[in-house]
Amino acid sequence: MVFSSLYFLFLYLPIVLFAYYIAPLRWRNGVLLVLNLIFYAWGEPVYILIMFASIAIDYTHGMLVERYKSRNNDKGARLAVASSVVFNLALLFFFKYWDFVAGSLAAAGLGFMPKLGLRLPIGISFYTFQTMSYTIDVYRGNARVQKSIVNFGTFVTLFPQLIAGPIIKYKDLGDQIDSRTHTVEQFASGVQIFVVGLAKKVLLANNIGMLWDAWKAVPAGELTTAGAWLGAAAFSFQIYFDFSGYSDMAVGLGRMLGFEFMRNFDYPYISRSITEFWRRWHISLGTWFREYMYIPMGGNRVSRPRLFFNLLAVWAATGIWHGASWNFLLWGLYFAVLLILEKAFLLRWLERAPSVVRRVYTLLLVVVSWAIFAVEDLGRLGIYLKAMFGGAEGGLTGGAVEYYFFSYLPILAIAAVASTPLAAALWKRLPERPMKVLLPFLLLAGLICSTAYLVDATYNPFLYFRF
Amino acid sequence: MTKRYCMFISALFCAFLLFFMAANAAAPDRLYSELENRELAQLPALSAKSLISGEFMAKFETYVTDQFVGRDGWVAMKSAAELLLGKRENNGVYFCSGGTLITRFETPDEKRVADNLNYVNKFVENMDIPVYFSLIPTQACIWADRLPAGAPNASQSALLDQARQSTSARWYDTYPQLWEHRDEAVFYRTDHHWTSLGAYYGYAALAGAMGLEPVPLSQYVKTTVSENFYGTVFSSSGVRWVLPDCIDVYVPEQGTRVISHTYDQNGNPVEESRQLYDESYLARKDKYAMFLGGQQSLGVVYGPNAQGPKLLLVRDSYSDSLVPFLTAHFSEIHLIDLRYYKLSAAEYIQEHGIDAAVVLYSVPNFVTDSNLVWLGR
Repeated sequence: MVFSSLYFLFLYLPIVLFAYYIAPLRWRNGVLLVLNLIFYAWGEPVYILIMFASIAIDYTHGMLVERYKSRNNDKGARLAVASSVVFNLALLFFFKYWDFVAGSLAAAGLGFMPKLGLRLPIGISFYTFQTMSYTIDVYRGNARVQKSIVNFGTFVTLFPQLIAGPIIKYKDLGDQIDSRTHTVEQFASGVQIFVVGLAKKVLLANNIGMLWDAWKAVPAGELTTAGAWLGAAAFSFQIYFDFSGYSDMAVGLGRMLGFEFMRNFDYPYISRSITEFWRRWHISLGTWFREYMYIPMGGNRVSRPRLFFNLLAVWAATGIWHGASWNFLLWGLYFAVLLILEKAFLLRWLERAPSVVRRVYTLLLVVVSWAIFAVEDLGRLGIYLKAMFGGAEGGLTGGAVEYYFFSYLPILAIAAVASTPLAAALWKRLPERPMKVLLPFLLLAGLICSTAYLVDATYNPFLYFRF
Repeated sequence: MTKRYCMFISALFCAFLLFFMAANAAAPDRLYSELENRELAQLPALSAKSLISGEFMAKFETYVTDQFVGRDGWVAMKSAAELLLGKRENNGVYFCSGGTLITRFETPDEKRVADNLNYVNKFVENMDIPVYFSLIPTQACIWADRLPAGAPNASQSALLDQARQSTSARWYDTYPQLWEHRDEAVFYRTDHHWTSLGAYYGYAALAGAMGLEPVPLSQYVKTTVSENFYGTVFSSSGVRWVLPDCIDVYVPEQGTRVISHTYDQNGNPVEESRQLYDESYLARKDKYAMFLGGQQSLGVVYGPNAQGPKLLLVRDSYSDSLVPFLTAHFSEIHLIDLRYYKLSAAEYIQEHGIDAAVVLYSVPNFVTDSNLVWLGR
């Protein structure tokens, strides 16, 4: 089930809120678990069995770690952690990467792995990372073991963040799972964030997505430099509003149920370096890799060559996490190289440059990265990147570029402004009275417009099922 | 924000969701959308099998969207929002000058085009009567100057050239006649078909190719049968701010007879009497179906000229408004729609003593149709 759908908004969500709030406090996790499972089973009626297995196995591993730790058996505890990590990575590998590895080996003349053709279970990249964090956090003493399997199941399946994040670490959510308060202030703020997220996804991302769709299919002979940049810029906006809109909806829904999730995006497109960009983009993923991979590998406190190796390894993993395809690996390594360059000397140079130079530098590199991300076929990617840098077969500009540019100009302008904190800052500076008068109208406008676009949903693709 | 204000905001949100939840539950499900000209999805049956395969969920999602209360109003609101945002298209339809809505002509699938041209060639090979062949260029070609500046639109004339060069049938061009009269109402502004006037020019082109003298347009009396026609492009565009089209007819109905051949529920052949102009359709949304009563697998139109030759037309719905003009020359016009007619056209021609055959499609239909394979058999 996706949040930006009519049956979620006008059927599932009202039922969830009703069932959740009429249930007595101590039953709420149980009620939530059942609702979460319905949410997941709606999209994955068969693969929900993997979810059950995952819950049972990770729950057991947590208990094992705790038991070994209480007996001061560090080796046993480490073994249990290792076993949990292996299980989760194996699960992920089997469903997500098997065919990719098999295909790549076969292409290299080593065709010993048969292709399985399995469909990717929705959200597996997200929930395997969350459950892995659980045993590690318990081992590190950052979280208490979860004794109730209902509570643990609620954590793993929590529907607001189940299929597209944010990736919430157990240590951040464990206490809230055990006990949380529900206030109407929190609910109302959740409503606002949710509607903002819905509008970002339905009104902006889907709309600009059509511009990218029009562009990605253009035959090589007709691709122009201006068109390639317009397409890449459109995709940059689409992926940001799609993903951050979805995260906003998750945060909003979480608050409606009494949870406080971490913020996943912090206006990434105003960053003044790639290093800063990755502190603002998909924060929950960045911090996950930082805490569970980069720092255990030694982090910054190692020799230069080792540091660069660590960065390459972490970013190769980050890249391939986004999808089992070579372009995602390339995309990760592209950022690794940029981050290494920034760490080596670029950041020091940038610090002396004016803000505008730094922002343009960052944005251009980020837009190029989205082209690598969006075009999966490497041959086509080569043509596309070449076109961006002046080698377009269709010349600099022409064809439909002008038509698309002018038809999408208002939306592109709205998207550009919405990528900055400007609107939020203006809103905060508004005196309370006009704010209170405006808010209900804005909320209704957002809900009504989103509903109109969803009813006319000949076009409502969801980008994150690949992750 | 005070607690009371927060309660108000929370209640507003919940009320919005609940209102539409209740309205959807209360509103009766519609079977058919006249505006969209299609059957709407119904509540799917629940079974263990459909649940496990996910089929139930997929169908349920379509059901909720299709049956959403006030659907037509929401769709209209969305297209108005698109216009307001500076878009010049919605759902693949361009907002064109003169209150015209034109469906984008997408780059055709080369293989499909080559295959379809081959099927026509095969049909010609099997035949010892003359086979005429033409494709009708549509609004996206003849009225291209009405499209928004620079709007992407594949070339139909390139396709006409390709067909002319590769066909072994007796090719004739419909394009020059339509192009010459492009400033007249040769197409509907809100429907994908040509008007009776456009069909007249198509008839003149065909008559020229067959060596017949077309009846001059001035000899007909134009009768406007509807001034309130919103066609298929209007439906798919979601646009609600354009004026309706008129439907005109030129050829009088007297002396013509139409028989549609179909099958009853038990598979027995039955004959159904139809008319050249079935005015009962004018009270419905799908007003173009007044020409010959809309879709049919096989129809025979008997003209007043009982001595004339017999013609077979392998065609799409554009021919429904062309046929009235042809009745002046032929005693019988047999219409085959390959979407429904799966028997051998060659055998049919022999059995019925057909004198000439015409294959006539609109360009967009020809390049997407997957049924021409039946012609080659």
